[in-house]
This record gives sequence, C-alpha cells and structure tokens, in this order.
Amino acid sequence: MMNSMSFAKQTRGLLGIIITGTYRNNLRAIGSNKFFSSTTTGSTSTTTNASKENEPIKKSVFISQSYDIFTNLAIEDWIYRNYDLSSHHILMLWVNNPCVVVGRHQNPFSESNEKALKAAGIELARRNSGGGTVYHDRNNLNCTFFTPRNRYDRKYNLNLISRGIYREYGIDTEISERDDILLHGKKISGTAAKLGRPNAYHHCTLLVDCNKDHLRGALKRTGKEEIISKATASVPSPIKNLADVNKNVNVQSLLTAIGYEFLRTTPDKLFDGGREYVMQQRGFQLINPTEKWFPGLNELRENFASWDWIYGKTPKFAVETKIEFKSGIECHNMKVVVDVEKGLIQKIDLNFKGEVMPIVSSLIGQAYNENNLEKITSALKNVSTENVKNVFEAKNGL
Amino acid sequence: MVLCQIIVRSAFRSLQTSIKPQLKIQARYLSISLSNCSERKYTKKHEWVQIEENNIGTVGISTYAQEALGDIVYAQLPDVGSSFRQKDECGALESVKAASEIYSPVSGDVTEKNLEVEETPSLINTSCYDKGWLFKIKLAKPSELDELLDEKQYDEFLKSDAH
Repeated sequence: MMNSMSFAKQTRGLLGIIITGTYRNNLRAIGSNKFFSSTTTGSTSTTTNASKENEPIKKSVFISQSYDIFTNLAIEDWIYRNYDLSSHHILMLWVNNPCVVVGRHQNPFSESNEKALKAAGIELARRNSGGGTVYHDRNNLNCTFFTPRNRYDRKYNLNLISRGIYREYGIDTEISERDDILLHGKKISGTAAKLGRPNAYHHCTLLVDCNKDHLRGALKRTGKEEIISKATASVPSPIKNLADVNKNVNVQSLLTAIGYEFLRTTPDKLFDGGREYVMQQRGFQLINPTEKWFPGLNELRENFASWDWIYGKTPKFAVETKIEFKSGIECHNMKVVVDVEKGLIQKIDLNFKGEVMPIVSSLIGQAYNENNLEKITSALKNVSTENVKNVFEAKNGL
Repeated sequence: MVLCQIIVRSAFRSLQTSIKPQLKIQARYLSISLSNCSERKYTKKHEWVQIEENNIGTVGISTYAQEALGDIVYAQLPDVGSSFRQKDECGALESVKAASEIYSPVSGDVTEKNLEVEETPSLINTSCYDKGWLFKIKLAKPSELDELLDEKQYDEFLKSDAH
C-alpha cells in the first residue's frame, strides 16, 4: 500500500510535467503516430497493420480540451476512422457541458424531455455507438478505449477502471452483467461500443458529482402520448455519484487515476506493470480540437450537430394520442396516430373503433416535435364531434 | 453455379436412369448440400453475398459474425436506391449495447432490404443464411466477386488468427 501511495505521488508529479509541456511537444508526439500519413492515403493500410502487428503495443492517454459534446464525438470518430491502432492503444478522457446523449438507434422523443432540455439549456446529441441514453455534465468523466476490433474487450476496460478507482480512493465497485459499474448496487457508469473494421471503441460514463435533478428531469418524459417503435429502449437504473461516498473524488483526480491505471496495465491481461511499464508508454497528451491537428474535424462536428443526424436518424416510429373534442361528447375511443420516418411526419390518421381516417394537413412532411404534435391535436379539438362521426359513418356507407 | 447445375443435372440423369429408391435419397441429399454452399462468397469482415439472376446479390452476415455479436436487437439496413462502393459502411447491427458496422461486400445499388429482419432482428441470429439476409444489391462490378473468399477459403480464414 505504501508503495502504491508513493507511486501515485510520483506519477502525479510526472503528469504535471507532461501537461504543462508546450503544445509543440504534444503536436510532435501525435505527429509521430503516423496518423497524418494515414489520412492522406484515405484509409489505414492493411500492409501497415500487418507489419505492425508484431510490434509491442504502446499506450497513450488523450485528454480532450473541449467541453462541447459535438466536438468530442467528432474527435472520437476521427480517431476511430484514421488511426492505425494495431500497435497503439488509446484511452481518450473527456468531459462535456450539460447534455443528453442518445444511442445510435434510439428515439430522442421517447428517451428525453424536450421541454426540460430547452429550459435548462441542455444539448441533445446522438452518438455513433449502441446502447441507452445518458446525461453528462462537467462532473461526469467519459472514457473511450480505442483498440483494433480483435482486441476489443469491455470487461478488461471496466475492470481497469474499477482497479484505478480502488487504487486512488479505496472505493470498492463491481461490474454488473450489463457491463455497468456499480457502487453499493447503484450505477455509476454506463457502457456502449462501436465495432468496425479494423477499429473499434468502447466508451463509458463515470458519475463523479453529477446534478441528479437535471439528470432525472432531462431523461424523464412527461408527455401522455404513446410512442411505438423498434428503436433500442434504455433501461433506467438507480444511480450514484462517486463523490457521494468519498468527497475527495473530483473529475481532475479521477482523470489522472484512470489515465495512470491504463498506462500501468499491460494490454493482454490485467497485469500491473508498475512505474517501469508506465515509463515505456507514450503517456498523457492534451488534445486540441483543431482542423490543423485533425484535418476534416469541423465537418465531422457539423454532422454530429445537424438535425439530420440527431433527429433524422431516429428509427421510424408512430405516436398515438387520445383526442378530446371541444363539445365534450363521449368519444373516448378516438385517437390520432402520427407516423414519423427519418424524423419527418409521414401520415396522420384519426382512429375510431378500428376505423382509420387519413387527415390531410400541411404538417405532413414537416419535422416531428412536441410543438407540431400539439398543433395537430389542438386543430382536431376544434372539429365538431358530429362532423367526425358523420365522416366515419359516410365512410362506412351508413 | 454453372458447375453445380451440371453436377445436379448429371445426378438427376443418373437418378432417372435408376429405379433404386436408395439412389433417389442420395441424390436428394446431394442437391441439398449443393444448394447450401453454391456460390456464397465471403469477405474477411464476415459478410456473405450470393448471386441470383441479373447480377443481383443477396447480402448477409456469417454464422461466425452473428455468434460473435450475440442477440441482435436492432438492424439498420441501407435504403433501397442507395449506392455503395465495395467495403463502404452501409448499415449497422446493434447487440448488447454495441453498434456493429455492416460493410458492403460488393459495389452496386441496393434493390431491396429485408423488412422482416427490420421487424424481427433476431432472425439474423436464428437464420443468418436464409431468413436473416439483410439486403439485395445490383452488382456494379461483378469482377469484385473474384476477390472474395469461397466457403473453404473462408473456413480456413476463420481458423487462422487474422480475423
């Protein structure tokens, strides 16, 4: 224990030196990773992979200097697309301003509360990996583990985090069947992954001292309408902050602890290589999200921030809601059904006792959102019940 | 395919000339095993493509890939009319919180996607070579098929560490 304590102090000192080093140093270090050459050829060459496969794996910790969710998703995507990871494993550590991030195949309307997000100034984003919806703020640390697809190993990564937390703070955590990290049975970390060829990444959140009220408000839907869809649904879980059990935990110290745990652990299995092993690695590097460092980054960021990606990628869905007519005459069985594809309203139907009546509206072809749904329901409220009944009866030839 | 047809035809010919019921059974087994392995070509990324008529190929993922993914809960398939080059990302399959890219094994235009798989993604797990096909593509460069692995080469590739 004494040894590890003094090691932690020494390594923190080391971190100070590296981080206070100039950007020039960082730039040189990253330039030597050959990712500039791989972008000019347009893809990671398989011959390079083959020649590098037998080289010993070196590890880097990248610390993003951005708090913007779209920029961080773009850096993640850039590394995934452009790096040759065959002999270089990367852990990216990043923190965001308040935002809600839905999984690649999720429906933001069923996973989040649009009005609460707007009111609190919380961004909504869609990521490229699978899994469920998460809330981030400046007191949540995100970890992305980049490896070749054949080295992708979530349990290794999660155990590494768990060991790092124990080494630094003495907090015992466990890893659930769903690959969540649990503290006293409650979730402090959620996981997701993107698997491609040749590269893959696994990323996870780590709740340090998140605003739980914002988290709950942002992820709790209040609308009464029913959303029917094949989209991946989140599994809501009780959560806990690391700072709830140990006030010494903050994002900066956790970032250092996880970064060092990554550098001191051998890539094949969870073996502690100690300080000597750390010294053989590439160490910590601050990542400056500029076009000069990552050519094409701005375009990736724009895509992540676009309506087409955030809403347009929503798996097709239908929204069902009950209609109350102004006259108040009993018409409980009447529902309006809105079909949405690629985020756009495709069809609006009125549904009464199994009979379907299509509605012609200028809203067809428009973006689906709570506002437009309200427009539809309030327009229908003004229709007289008798008229609707007459139309249905006429349709039935009565 | 042509070769297989010839073998099948010759098998049937011998069947017709024979009156022994035992032979009939053998011939039936023969034709089944031939149709199962005829012309399915694989990529090193574990997609397969099988050519039907008019240079239209059916695309899916291999048993190895579906087993590695585990229970598939969502299939994002390419839209009909979209075009891809060989090895382009053209969709994704989601399983246990991981989105796994699908790469097009050949260049061409998508002519059909499997709506049943969109509705029931687990079909990919239960029937990856049959009901769990993903999409059909009109080949732009049929010569690309020559670069793909046949069943035997793919099996050998799986035995090697390279995948």
